[in-house]
Amino acid sequence: MKINAAIVGVGASEFGRFLPDTQLRLAAKALKQALDDSGLEREDIDGLSMHMGWPLGLDYDQVADGLGLNIRYVNQAWTHGRFVTNTLQHAALAVSAGLANVVACVTAISFTRERDILGGPGDMEGYREGGGTHGESPTYGLTSPSGGAALSMQRYMKLYGGTSEKLAAVPIQIRQHALLNPDSVMKEELTLEKHQSSRMVVDPLHLFDCCLMTDGAIVTLVTTKERARDLKQKPVVFAGMQGIRSSRDEFIFAPPGLGIGQQPVTHVRSRPIDTEVFDKAGVTQKDVKGVYTYDAFSPLVLFVLERYGYCGEGEALDFVQNNGIGPGGRLPVNTNGGLLSEAHVAGWNHIREMTRQIRGTAGPRQIPNADVLQWGTVWGDSVILTAA
Amino acid sequence: MSFHQGITAKPRPRITPDHQPLWDGFKQHKMMLPFCEDCGKPHLPPGPVCPHCFSDRLDWREVSGRGVVTTWVVVHKAWFPAFAEDIPYNVVQVELEEGPRITASLVGAGDQKLDVGQKVVAVFEPVDEDLTLLRFKPA
Repeated sequence: MKINAAIVGVGASEFGRFLPDTQLRLAAKALKQALDDSGLEREDIDGLSMHMGWPLGLDYDQVADGLGLNIRYVNQAWTHGRFVTNTLQHAALAVSAGLANVVACVTAISFTRERDILGGPGDMEGYREGGGTHGESPTYGLTSPSGGAALSMQRYMKLYGGTSEKLAAVPIQIRQHALLNPDSVMKEELTLEKHQSSRMVVDPLHLFDCCLMTDGAIVTLVTTKERARDLKQKPVVFAGMQGIRSSRDEFIFAPPGLGIGQQPVTHVRSRPIDTEVFDKAGVTQKDVKGVYTYDAFSPLVLFVLERYGYCGEGEALDFVQNNGIGPGGRLPVNTNGGLLSEAHVAGWNHIREMTRQIRGTAGPRQIPNADVLQWGTVWGDSVILTAA
Repeated sequence: MSFHQGITAKPRPRITPDHQPLWDGFKQHKMMLPFCEDCGKPHLPPGPVCPHCFSDRLDWREVSGRGVVTTWVVVHKAWFPAFAEDIPYNVVQVELEEGPRITASLVGAGDQKLDVGQKVVAVFEPVDEDLTLLRFKPA
């Protein structure tokens, strides 16, 4: 089966902290905007791919009930960063296979109300049978996803050199993108001084190496390329995809080979398995005008640049210096401002931005001729989106 | 809303049947690992089968307790009320001589800076009659 899918509409609620709206109201706002954006009617939607659900959100049936949808295909992953790509990929697979005509990818998040789950005594993820996947060890006081990113960055810095000051280039440049985006929660420049004087969360990660905890919803509408051609917007086509990688080579927030958890120690560098997506899309890294990634913690951006072959083993810290990834940089990353500075909408704010960029409607953030963009995460999964 | 429901003690480990021999070993001040009787390799975290060759034939054996720090962090945020007085405190991953890595914390390092590659050895810290924690000290 060939992938035959395009993004034809995106919509969002407002993003912010302690928004009074329920998740369902946020989702309703995003869906109305996505329908308006696409020219589709609510009745056209017959598939749901949910990046939310217990324990952090409503399940698919509650959303279908509440928004009055009539659905014949459902995929659901809970609100966990790892599942953003496969939520999007399931939508593309479903329309390609004819399981649904139009799939709505829905995420609605109220992190600020439910943040206790993200670390400390409420960290039920870290405390489940077999433990958490971020290297959590509550018995020793290691909790929250930030701990996993810190474990990886500490070892990476020892092996390849690097300092917190150099790492700061990531959140500083992503903030520069955010300042060009009126939806961004963060409104002030991030300087090296501010980064270095921000409180340490878990050494080596400062506060500004950690993403925002915000509320908001995004709905992304996916249908076939043929249907997309008849709709209101310029289609944004799924040109290539690769799935999440899982084995003993993988630790959630480390590149393969780094030696975190039970990972074998090899070389942290791009392997053929990491770059299948380019072949699928018929492009190379040189064709990619911008990279979008799940920047929950600033080290993840480094690991992604190496994993997908934009730079070599241990070279990412140097790659990002001197506006490597900022506005007008050599390879712009997360031009919306990312999870670090726009908002934490589980990566869907990045998918929304990719859609705007490919349509050419990204305003002051527009990348010239943004015809090929990569979504790629530290988990090895990726989607390349292109103009039709 | 709050998920923690007023829990203020330090979290106790969640010991599954697969993990039980590891924690029983700590109580006897022994570092035990599950070895595969077919391929010979030990593994962690303790699982129901050998993850290398999928054999069911596992044998728990005492090992040296020696290893090296492969990564470390220092927690500065008071995530847990019960750890607030310990801040800042370290958590380390240690690669045991036999290969698998385990997470614990380092004691008795004094002013010595934590470092990847630091040689360490297991020590055992009784909490109460049901629980003894693994820690490491500089070797």
